[in-house]
This record gives sequence, C-alpha cells and structure tokens, in this order.
Amino acid sequence: MDKKLFVFLGFLGASIAIILTDVSAPSTTISPTLKILLLIVGLFFDALAYASRYYTYLLLPIVKQRKRFIVLSDEDPYWLSTTNDALVHKEGEDFLATVYVKIPLYVSATEMNDDEKINFTKQISRLVSLSRDPIRFTTQVNIMNKDAYLSSLRATLGGVENEEAELTAKNAPQKMLDRARGKASMWRHMFDNVNAAQSLEMVLYGSVSAIGSKEFEATSMAHQRARELMSGIAAVFGVNPSILTGEAILKAVEPEHLIPYSTISEQMGKALREQVT
Amino acid sequence: MDEETIVYLVFCAMLLAIVWVNVSSFGGGFNTYIVVILLGLMLAFLLTWTFADFIVFPLVMSTLGITFQPARYYKITKGQDMVLKNVNGLYYATGYLTANLFAYVFKAERIQEGEDVRQLQAPEAWEKALMSISFPFKFNIIASGLDIQIVRDELEGKRSYQEFQLSKVMQSANPNESIIADIQRKINVIQTQIDRISQEEKPIATLMYVETTAVGVTEKAAADALANQTKQLQIALGVLDVQLMRVVGRELYTLFKFGYAPPTTYEEVATNFDKQK
Repeated sequence: MDKKLFVFLGFLGASIAIILTDVSAPSTTISPTLKILLLIVGLFFDALAYASRYYTYLLLPIVKQRKRFIVLSDEDPYWLSTTNDALVHKEGEDFLATVYVKIPLYVSATEMNDDEKINFTKQISRLVSLSRDPIRFTTQVNIMNKDAYLSSLRATLGGVENEEAELTAKNAPQKMLDRARGKASMWRHMFDNVNAAQSLEMVLYGSVSAIGSKEFEATSMAHQRARELMSGIAAVFGVNPSILTGEAILKAVEPEHLIPYSTISEQMGKALREQVT
Repeated sequence: MDEETIVYLVFCAMLLAIVWVNVSSFGGGFNTYIVVILLGLMLAFLLTWTFADFIVFPLVMSTLGITFQPARYYKITKGQDMVLKNVNGLYYATGYLTANLFAYVFKAERIQEGEDVRQLQAPEAWEKALMSISFPFKFNIIASGLDIQIVRDELEGKRSYQEFQLSKVMQSANPNESIIADIQRKINVIQTQIDRISQEEKPIATLMYVETTAVGVTEKAAADALANQTKQLQIALGVLDVQLMRVVGRELYTLFKFGYAPPTTYEEVATNFDKQK
C-alpha cells in the first residue's frame, strides 16, 4: 500500500474510532466534559488525516520526534557518482541519479535582427518540448570564483613589491626606482579593481533524472536520457552540449559554490572593517 | 478541486456529519454550543486547508516555532519560506518564487493577439531583465511533453461541450447576447489551441520558478538579504508579464529536493503542484 494512503487510513481510523465511541457512549458512563475532550481528540486526528494528503513526509517525523527541531533526514542529500558525472540520491530503497548537460549558447538579442529573434524564440519553444519525460532547464547567474586569479595577482604584486624594496635598499638609480614603483602601483590598482566587486557569470544547463534499484542502473539510465537530450539540443541549436562533471556539478546545486565562500567572506570582512572604521 | 481532494474532503467531513447528527449525545445546553463551535472550526480548517494550506501551514509552524532539517547541514526556518545552510560561519539562505509565464505557456486561456510581436520582444525583454539583476539566481523551467492525442481529444471534447451550450442558448426564447459572445470567445480559444497542435506545436506542461541565494554572517542577515533579493527579482522579472509569488511550505521543500533530484515523471510534478488550467 502507498505510504501516504496508509497514513491517511491510520489517522482516519483513529478519528472514526474515537468519535464513534464518543457519540455512542451514554452520558452515564462518560461525563459530558470528557465527551467534549474526546471529540477534540477525534477532530484532531481527523485534521491530521486530511493534512496527510500533502504532508505525510512531515506528520510521521513530528509524531515520532515531538520536538521543535524535526529531522527529516540526517544524511547528505546527494553524493557524486564514482564516474564523477552524476549526482546520486537515495529515495527509499531506490537510487535517483541526475545528470547535468551544459548548453553552450553564447548569443545576444542585441546582435539579432527581427527574424532571428522570432526564430530564437521558436527554438526555445522546441527546446522545452524535446521530451515527454520532465527535463529541467536552468539559466544560472552565479558569482565567479576569482580565487585562483586573485592568488596569481597577489603573487605577482608581492614579487613586484619585493623588487621595489630591493632597488630601494641598493640605492638604485631614480629611473629604475620610478619604473619599479610604477609597476607596483599598476599591479596594486589591478588587484584592487578585481577584488573590489563581485563578477558574475551565466550558464545554461539542462538536467535529467532516472530511478534505478542500483546506483549504476540509475546512472546508466540518466546518462541515456542525457544523451537523448544532447542530441535534441544539438539538433535545435546546432551547438555541442557537454555533460558537467565534478566541481561544475556542485556549482549547480551547492549554495557555497553559487556564491564562493572565499570570495564572499573576504568582501564581507572588508565591508565590515569599513563600517567599523 | 481535483478528484483526490474531493475524496479526502468527503471522508474527513463525513465525521463532522456524524457528530452533527448526534449532537444531543453531548449533554445539551452549553455543551451543544461548544460542539457546534468545534464543528464550525473544523469545517473552516478543512476548507482553508483545501484552498490555502500555504497560509495555514507556515502560520502553524511559526506559532509552534518548529523548524525542519530536510538533509544534513540544511534547515527550513519556522516561517517555511527559506532553506538555510551554514558553511564555515556564513549563512546561505535560499528562497523560491513561482514564475508562471502565462503568455508563453501552451495552455493560455486567451487568444494571444500580436503573438509575433511578443515573440519578437521576448529575447530582448529577457536580457534587459537579467542585466538589472546583480546577485546570484536561477531561472528554472521543468517541462514535460504531453500526449498529443490525449490533449487533442480533451480539447475537442471541450469544444463540443461549448458548441452544445451555444446551441442551447441560441434556441432559447430570449438569447442573451453577452452569453453568446462569451461562449463564442471560449470556442475560438479552444479552436486556436487545436490549430496549434495541428501545426505540429507540441503541448507541454511546465513548472517555472526562480531560485535565489543570499549570504549573511547571521541567520537574520541572510534572511534580510534574501528578502531584499526576492523583491528585486519581482521587480526585474515582472516586466516579462510573469506572476511572481514567494513559495512557502510543502512546495518549498519539494523545490529544494528538485534542486538535486528533478522529477522523473510528469505525475511527480502534477501531484505536488496544482495544475494550471
């Protein structure tokens, strides 16, 4: 039996039992006050039965745990597959695998004439109607992770500043000192400019899922669906889509990859220091 | 109201009828008033829960101060309107907005006049909206193709029914012109949809939503930043003729799961969200 139906019948049954007992018992055996209390309990179970239609996932944990902080799951919501190109999630006894397909579309409406704009709109309509199975298409704007670039800029700036310090210590000619100072100033400005504000990047991808009784079965079926999606995308737009792997998948699901921790914490720290001073 | 809701409502309301018929068994007098009030409250709950559980559920959870952990490291706040994640002392708050692009969904209820103009303006309007947003977000479309024959049969059935209504009105003694015009408009809308299927446009079911993530050094800071971002999204994307509302309650939990485990069948989407007709 479906779990939702089981929960509904359980609560409804409890409600029926309490209410029927309540209304059929004579006033001599149960006082009117107790009857009212039993009625309240019966109606409460009736409300739970009705709520179970959409809230089965919550009702059982609330009833079992009876706390203000209800734990629906204490496990990671997903993990990367062994092939590093799919997310896997356990759903009961089954495995659900999701594959993400990047759609490399680099066009802008500002470069299109009227016919191209109408054609592009129709292409989008064809894209979303590719399959009978649900496909999720996402346009994602996220903060670019500039850590590696900032590290290289910092290293270059450090080298240039060392050079300036050495020339100063050696009492080098003014011309060489000015050149070194000019270089340091240029790299400092570049570093400040790149570090000053967030940079955004946009990516378009589609995601498909499949269920299997084993992990490899789910990932195989998800890959099959992904390949069909990739054929459809190539036919519609004439581009070469690719499957996201590793870190790129995490950017699609993890909030700390959407907003890189190191980038944002440095900027928040800087903003806080400015506020304090 | 769909069939499943009616079944749940009938069974749960049946108990109210049983209590109403046996109200005298509660002792009469003041007790009768209490029972009637309890029945009234229960009926109000059933009706409110049917049409507005997204209001009642967050209100109940806020009042009781209940929060949920849908997966490790994640938390749904008591307002049921955001998902929080703590990463190294920074709080990431994710919220969702519905985005029903009525003008671009196949099941439009009105004939789209100037459809070519709208298709022409769509790409540029989309880019302009995107350019005005300076924080991370995702625009998601979950699309699922529907069986063409089933949709066509359904539409032809609706058209036949409207034509029958029209003939009834025309044959009446005093045919009302406004009713005739209204029925003819409905027939035209249905006929347009049938014509579009005949022109090989595929019917699709779509669920569109926007997801955004904000970050803060405390839960409150992240929540405030998220509220600010959702308001900006409502303004920026509102120019696309989109109905944008904050998602709360069970639908928030479902969309959170869709983030890493998109639905595998159309039914999975349809059972979680009310169908736009």
